[in-house]
Amino acid sequence: MRFAAAALIAVLSFSASAKETVRIAFVGPLTGGNSAIGLGGRNSADLAVRLRNADGKSKHQYELVVLDDECKPDAGVQMATKAGSDRTIVAGVTHYCSVVAMATVDTYHRFALPVIVWGAVLPDITYANDFKEIHRVNGTMINQNETNAKFMSERGFRKVAVIHDTTDYGKGHNKYFSQFFQKAGGQIIATFGVTADQQDFTAELTQIKAQNPEALYFGGLTPIGVRVRAQMDKLGLKAQFDGTSGIVNDDFIKALGPLAEGALAFREGAPAEKLPGGRKFLEDYNKQGYSNPPEAYGPFAYAAAELLMDAIDKVGPDRKKIVKELANVTDRDSIVGKITFDDHGQNTVPAITRYVVQDGKWVTWEESEYAAGKRKLTNGK
Amino acid sequence: MRSRAIAALFTALVTAYAWLLLRAESQGAIAALILVGIAAGILAMRTQLLRPVARSLGSNERFAQGLAFAAVVVIALALRDDDFALLLLTRVLIVIVACLGLNVQFGYAGVVNFAGASFFGVGGYTAAVLASSARLPHLLVLLAGGVTAALAGTVLLLPILRTRGHYAALITIAFALLFRTFLEVNDALGGPQGLKLGEMRIGPLRFNDPISAGPFEGSFYLRYIAVALVLVALAFAVVQRLDRSWVGVALDTVRLDEIAAASFGMDIARWKIAAFTVGNFIIGVAGALSAFMIGFIAPNNYSFAESLIFVSILLLGGIGSAWGLSLATAIVILLPEKFQIIQEYRFLMFAALVVLTLLFRPVGLVPRPLRRLVGPPLS
Amino acid sequence: MSASVIAQYVMNGAMLGMMYALVAVGFTLFFGVLDIIQFSHGDVVAAGAFAGLAAWTLLTAAGVAAPAVLLLAVVLSAIAVTALLGAVVARFIVLPVKGAPQLNVLLVTLMAGTVLRECLRLFYPGGSQPKLFPALLPTSGWDIGGFHLRFDNVILLVSGALLIAGTHLIITRSRLGLAIRAVAQDEETARTMGIDFRRVVLVTFALGSALAAFAGVIDGLYYNEVFFGMGLLLGVIGFAAAILGGLGNLYGAIVGGFLFAALQTIGAVALPFASAYKDVFAFGVVILLMAIRPTGLIGERASERV
Repeated sequence: MRFAAAALIAVLSFSASAKETVRIAFVGPLTGGNSAIGLGGRNSADLAVRLRNADGKSKHQYELVVLDDECKPDAGVQMATKAGSDRTIVAGVTHYCSVVAMATVDTYHRFALPVIVWGAVLPDITYANDFKEIHRVNGTMINQNETNAKFMSERGFRKVAVIHDTTDYGKGHNKYFSQFFQKAGGQIIATFGVTADQQDFTAELTQIKAQNPEALYFGGLTPIGVRVRAQMDKLGLKAQFDGTSGIVNDDFIKALGPLAEGALAFREGAPAEKLPGGRKFLEDYNKQGYSNPPEAYGPFAYAAAELLMDAIDKVGPDRKKIVKELANVTDRDSIVGKITFDDHGQNTVPAITRYVVQDGKWVTWEESEYAAGKRKLTNGK
Repeated sequence: MRSRAIAALFTALVTAYAWLLLRAESQGAIAALILVGIAAGILAMRTQLLRPVARSLGSNERFAQGLAFAAVVVIALALRDDDFALLLLTRVLIVIVACLGLNVQFGYAGVVNFAGASFFGVGGYTAAVLASSARLPHLLVLLAGGVTAALAGTVLLLPILRTRGHYAALITIAFALLFRTFLEVNDALGGPQGLKLGEMRIGPLRFNDPISAGPFEGSFYLRYIAVALVLVALAFAVVQRLDRSWVGVALDTVRLDEIAAASFGMDIARWKIAAFTVGNFIIGVAGALSAFMIGFIAPNNYSFAESLIFVSILLLGGIGSAWGLSLATAIVILLPEKFQIIQEYRFLMFAALVVLTLLFRPVGLVPRPLRRLVGPPLS
Repeated sequence: MSASVIAQYVMNGAMLGMMYALVAVGFTLFFGVLDIIQFSHGDVVAAGAFAGLAAWTLLTAAGVAAPAVLLLAVVLSAIAVTALLGAVVARFIVLPVKGAPQLNVLLVTLMAGTVLRECLRLFYPGGSQPKLFPALLPTSGWDIGGFHLRFDNVILLVSGALLIAGTHLIITRSRLGLAIRAVAQDEETARTMGIDFRRVVLVTFALGSALAAFAGVIDGLYYNEVFFGMGLLLGVIGFAAAILGGLGNLYGAIVGGFLFAALQTIGAVALPFASAYKDVFAFGVVILLMAIRPTGLIGERASERV
């Protein structure tokens, strides 16, 4: 019995090794407070690799090398160096945390390792340098907040209070939203930064309540978003909850129950289930039985891995050639919409999708009963 | 003479092992190497096989340090073009320096400091600010990192002197939490997005260019290793000098029995201040070099959890033992990197490992030996 | 600032303070009997909240819908799990290192807490994200000007106060309390008097951890959300509160808890800088207070032993 199993393994590994094995890296936060998103991204990239290998059409056998950046710059640089100095790794799907992505661009450039950022949103990652190796499939926080601010002022919200976390993510969102919203004629009546491990926001919310805003803009991720929304209810603060891409996930709704109803959020890319392959992605993901959901940025990690493998299939596992090939990506279909890299490697066409929670689901604004006028946002807007 | 030969042979073995471990790529090889290491460690402990080596090394500290120095140089040269392995090695060296500083506080004077990473961060931020704004030579910037860290520590001096035990621990814990939050909220120092540093330069030497001299080609990390190695040597010298002198005896007395020390007319406050300040200075210099090497700093690097890792290293190595903490640093930094395969379970494994070590070997891996100021060392 | 807004701040601060005090009382009890800091206490609180949540999930899946039954099940399972956990930590982590240096105990319990926290994150289904904690208490309330007073908050506040009072009674009036105080006074003498030292320690840890379970459940009911990492900061703050009041002193822990909550609220509301500095402010004041009163506000139970 044992022998048979060993023989089977030998045969399998032989047939696998008939193809050249190509290694690509995935780097993201697998431990710590952002691990949920990191694990979702890892699973999605892993799914892309598995599907490609199972498909059998590719010339190569792909292997995903998973590295944990812990959302810390020093760990990130360490992992970037590991991936970069390992010549068998030809490309990378890298980083969710902006601060880590910022810290590592130099390293990738030094080692000429082509990477596609799958989740970090800080504009500077692609725009503050001219490195040909750095690409990004997700949009920056600029696009997202421009749409958000425009939407809010069009719906007639004038007085908005802001709560953002003090990480790069929350601070950046606050900056761009406030900028665009004031340009659109709105008024930011109060701004509060909160730390990422804070649990109690009643002091901030009481102050906000005293100023009676029509809406509350929240720049941050699900954990804090859930707390803020729940505590708004505790204090009887009736304001429209307006969030960012960081809360577009099932956990936000699961953790809030009926309180999530009517919450707004904005995210780059079309919703996965609306796009060619998107629904299939979700089905395949569920079939694999991962213990974590893909979360908001899983589809981006999947799309990034797909782009890399497409490039490798075409030009072979050579870092320089992959960099060249990625520069040609225009109007490429993916599960997050069309992808076009500009000369900074930034995906320029991320359509921003507007979401609203309706009956325990994130629904695109266009399809919601809110847009149809059957339901109203908070304060009758 | 013979004992020296044995010691040299032992060092060569350890060097070869470290080289293999740093080079190892496949998980199978890594697992095998680690098992061999553990088995060898247990065997050595059980059979007292290392007795003669320990005696030889213990009797001639300078010889031992020379051997260790040579070993690191050999490993660095053997790995010359492997950037990742060299980065890990540099990191180990830098953390050793920081932990040596912490050791002066905890191990000698008994001043607790749960904010090690914060002072490491003060050094790093100083380096980032000075390197970008002032035209100071970078070696001076390293020094400045230490000075600022020592100065930052003075804020805590009064409360630390007045309290002891858990009360003193709370003060540094509070400081660690406060420091990280402060960095994140405050925009003047880059806020959560951190600060970028340019490359380090000493005179005409640019640290981030790859090295090529004739047929020799090597990674740019070799330069950082050289600086780190010099720092380790200096820190070792300072710490060892302290330990071997009446200052060390005085510090030990302060740690072991404040009342007895006071009744002998010793100025306890002065000794504690000295130890705390010297320790923070060393930590700060290490932090500054680390910032240069990584090229980027942000509050996330200097959290309370990082401070805990420093303290864990100290206790795992055996409190007060410079050699022990060096070994523990290598283990604590290298193992998780070599075990990327366990991915999200790494932190869990690390914590469990520390708990088990403290339960079953509370004195640490290499306990601090009794000092012998006169006469031959104790065997 | 209007009176109603101030009332709201006081109410918010009181809820926070109650939770901190419940955690701090645990720290102080453990210190009393063993002279050690059990630093995984905060994570035991989180484990309690998750145990309660698990009970609720199982029961609602089984079709139970009566809030009273659910509430009772949540509280009981939280208490059972944390009491057991507390005793296990005492038996296998704390007692074995009893004679070791303070530092070892501090680190070993901190790391045990990390193990617990990582286990919640990795092994509780969906544990890496915040979980909805059900609202099992009536959520209606009054709006008085800007002040929103809710029944559930009042109930939580009163039950927290009753719990602390109950603990106080147990310590001062019962035979068990007598044994605990005897051990706290002098372990050797207590042993010679026929007190089973180990049992007293285990029972104290179970008791203190059960209080933590309440803190966890109150936390969950108040915020309607629990998170694997909630224990870390709660633990540090509880420890700070216990120290501020003076270790081993029950009243001190309560005073410390409310004081810390007050500092955070003041830091967020009444000071001229951004509210994000509130923890910087609160911990800064703690450091300052320690410099002024090095053994806590009320003072440690026993004088320094030489």
